[in-house]
Amino acid sequence: MTSIDLQQARLFKWKKFATEGAGRLIIFLVGSIILWWLISAFLIERPDRYLPSPLSVVLSSADMLYKGSLISFYSDTLIRLVIGGAVGIAIGIPVGLALGLNRFVADMFYPLMNFFQSVSGIAIFPVIVIWFGNSDTTVLIVILYTSFFPIAFNVLSGVRSVPVRYIQAARTLGASRFQVVRDVLLPGAMPSIAVGTRLSIGFAWRAVIAGEMLAGRPGLGNMIFSGQEFDNTAQILLGMVMIGVTWIVLDHFLLRPLESDTIERWGLVQR
Amino acid sequence: MTAITEFSIAVQKRVGRQRLLKAFKVLLGSVPFIFLIILWELNTQFVWFDPIEIPPLSDVWGAIFFLQSDCPGFVAAMQQHNDCNLTNNIMSSLGRVILAGVVGIPLGIAFGILAGMNRTISGYLEPVGIFMNSVSGIAWIPLAIVWFGVGWETTLFIMLNTIFWLIFFNTMMGVRAVPKVLVQGVQTLGGSYYDTIKHVYLPGAMPSVITGMRMSLGFGWRALIAAEMIGGDSGLGFMIFVSAVEFKTEEVFLGVILISLIYLISDRYMLVPLEKWTIERWGLVWKPT
Amino acid sequence: MSGEAKLIIQDLCHHYPDEYTGESVHALEGINLQVYENEFVAIVGPSGCGKTTLLNIVAGLLPYREGRAMVDGNEIHGPGPDRGVVFQEHAILPWRSVARNIGHGLELQRVPKEETRRRVQEYIDLVGLSGFEDRYPHELSGGMKQRVAVARTLCADPVIMLMDEPFAAVDAQTRITLQDELNRIVMATAKTILFITHSVEEAAFLGDRCIVFSRRPGQIKTEIKIDIPREERVWKDMASNPKFTNARDEILRLVRQEVTSDDEH
Repeated sequence: MTSIDLQQARLFKWKKFATEGAGRLIIFLVGSIILWWLISAFLIERPDRYLPSPLSVVLSSADMLYKGSLISFYSDTLIRLVIGGAVGIAIGIPVGLALGLNRFVADMFYPLMNFFQSVSGIAIFPVIVIWFGNSDTTVLIVILYTSFFPIAFNVLSGVRSVPVRYIQAARTLGASRFQVVRDVLLPGAMPSIAVGTRLSIGFAWRAVIAGEMLAGRPGLGNMIFSGQEFDNTAQILLGMVMIGVTWIVLDHFLLRPLESDTIERWGLVQR
Repeated sequence: MTAITEFSIAVQKRVGRQRLLKAFKVLLGSVPFIFLIILWELNTQFVWFDPIEIPPLSDVWGAIFFLQSDCPGFVAAMQQHNDCNLTNNIMSSLGRVILAGVVGIPLGIAFGILAGMNRTISGYLEPVGIFMNSVSGIAWIPLAIVWFGVGWETTLFIMLNTIFWLIFFNTMMGVRAVPKVLVQGVQTLGGSYYDTIKHVYLPGAMPSVITGMRMSLGFGWRALIAAEMIGGDSGLGFMIFVSAVEFKTEEVFLGVILISLIYLISDRYMLVPLEKWTIERWGLVWKPT
Repeated sequence: MSGEAKLIIQDLCHHYPDEYTGESVHALEGINLQVYENEFVAIVGPSGCGKTTLLNIVAGLLPYREGRAMVDGNEIHGPGPDRGVVFQEHAILPWRSVARNIGHGLELQRVPKEETRRRVQEYIDLVGLSGFEDRYPHELSGGMKQRVAVARTLCADPVIMLMDEPFAAVDAQTRITLQDELNRIVMATAKTILFITHSVEEAAFLGDRCIVFSRRPGQIKTEIKIDIPREERVWKDMASNPKFTNARDEILRLVRQEVTSDDEH
């Protein structure tokens, strides 16, 4: 190999590192932080109010960490997400199953569910506030309500997509109606359950933030809202970054792998 | 019994079995709605729940006329006369959706195509898109209030922000999925750079763009309602929030029903047919959602 | 074969960096080739021998540094309507009807609508797609899609038509029909064609001249003239034509040498 070839190979390796995977992500992160800092330092008139620099956001996080409020806000939000999402999914799966098993029931309740799905959780928020006041219950009901529909509809279509042949095969082996549900329909609907879970948690995440903001319950949503009320823009930015990063981490490291693993393992259709 | 069977066979023959089944389905689907309305009316009769918690159906209907009571007429309502409360709020929300769409969709498509055509650029911009779509529209509301104050700029920004990033991201991914050989085909026919955008990338990304539009409406409409509640001074979200504070529950119910109906109609009867049409014309299989 | 050379390739070499390792891959070495007017040249060789690279260079889709490549006396810089390409993956646009796909080249060259319509109809009839003008690609079979692709290229009236394994993705029965039809079309239109294939039979059946490529780095190994008039090139007669069978066996032997030496390697 000549030295020119070696040089070329080295250049190529750098180019590859810079345009793929982890290297690209690092360059992107560093680049956007520098860009943010430049904008806040040179383009904005009152950066403290309109766009604080990355440093002041870090300082604000250190401050909140020291006071202990950051951890408590964060855990409040996550606990709400988990409880509300879990209950919504726990109700959604059996409802979806019931609708999927019986065409008569499905035809009867599908339009109703369709209507209430388009009544978004945020829109019914004022109604829930009238019923339950500005309480944790209100926020939880809104989360539960938003996470219920995606999973229910996905389970319904998942059960419907199980080939009739599988059910017939189980029947000829002497399976009872319950056994057919347990051994054929539920596993067959597994991929849809995974897809629905991811969607449900996604909707729930938005609902948590909105609910906390509107009801004024402690949490990330409230943190960014009070940042606006008390003129603390660094706190708003910190909250926004945490909201975005949490969702990306949750989605890419928990929900998506769960979804693809389930589809791979239980999938009737290879994607 | 035989008479009934004969009658039903005769009806089936006349109307057609498929049509009959469809009518039966519609009828069946309306049963829960009717049941709910009956329950609602019974509640008015027996007052299980206070009218402040669940107002009578007639009050919700009456709220339309109460809100419009001083409105001089249809023409005045269209001209956004000060006293036409309900129509003003509806038009205010719809106007923002339309304005944000008119600005945000072309902008998102333009940037999405430019970014999607270049693998390196789109590689860098993909995380931007993912991050921006992860910080849900609602989380932008406090920052928007800081930037623009309470009012229409904030609400418009929230809608625009949601639309732009979704359309941008979907267009970029759509453009990236366009097979390279289609571009080469047009190039070898003598197509210029501009021709490849117009004839290949744009139509190739179309199904993905329209899916992005449906998502925009879904997420954007929700975010807009929330923005109007928190940082707005008009619109349906603002209306129901104020009404809730004043415990005018019938107005809240009316608002919620209108918000859902507007979304339902624009999604089911405008965007879904559009999506179905493009996807089928493009030779892909359309799956109802 | 007389007439002027439409395509001239001189001392063409090509290297490119491997997608994963970054090491330089030597794809083509010292290619010298001329394609004359109305000539049908088929290039055959083992897979990965660089024949598609050559076609992409001629099409202008791949920039080259060493050597020269000229069409009609003009150096090749980027793709252009003087070199029409029929790709293996029928690259017709799924959102355009058959007629609009075939007329696309003329549309891009701003030919008047009336003239376009007339020529599109002419080529639709030529490839036997009458009655399918308003269909969309997803409603067509693989063979029909490839006919649309051929008609689209011909309709733009290129100086030379480049075909990159155009019949590799269709079933055996359809392939035979399409080959017969391509012959008929070549007779009717008198086009200059550079045809890439890995099928020895196809090359011998269609080509006036067959160029056999060696394995990588791709070099021209031999050139075999097949002196059979176009009118006689029909599958039902060709199978028993000694000129055809001899040429085919000879090419097969040469290609096999390349493949087996590859195995030993």
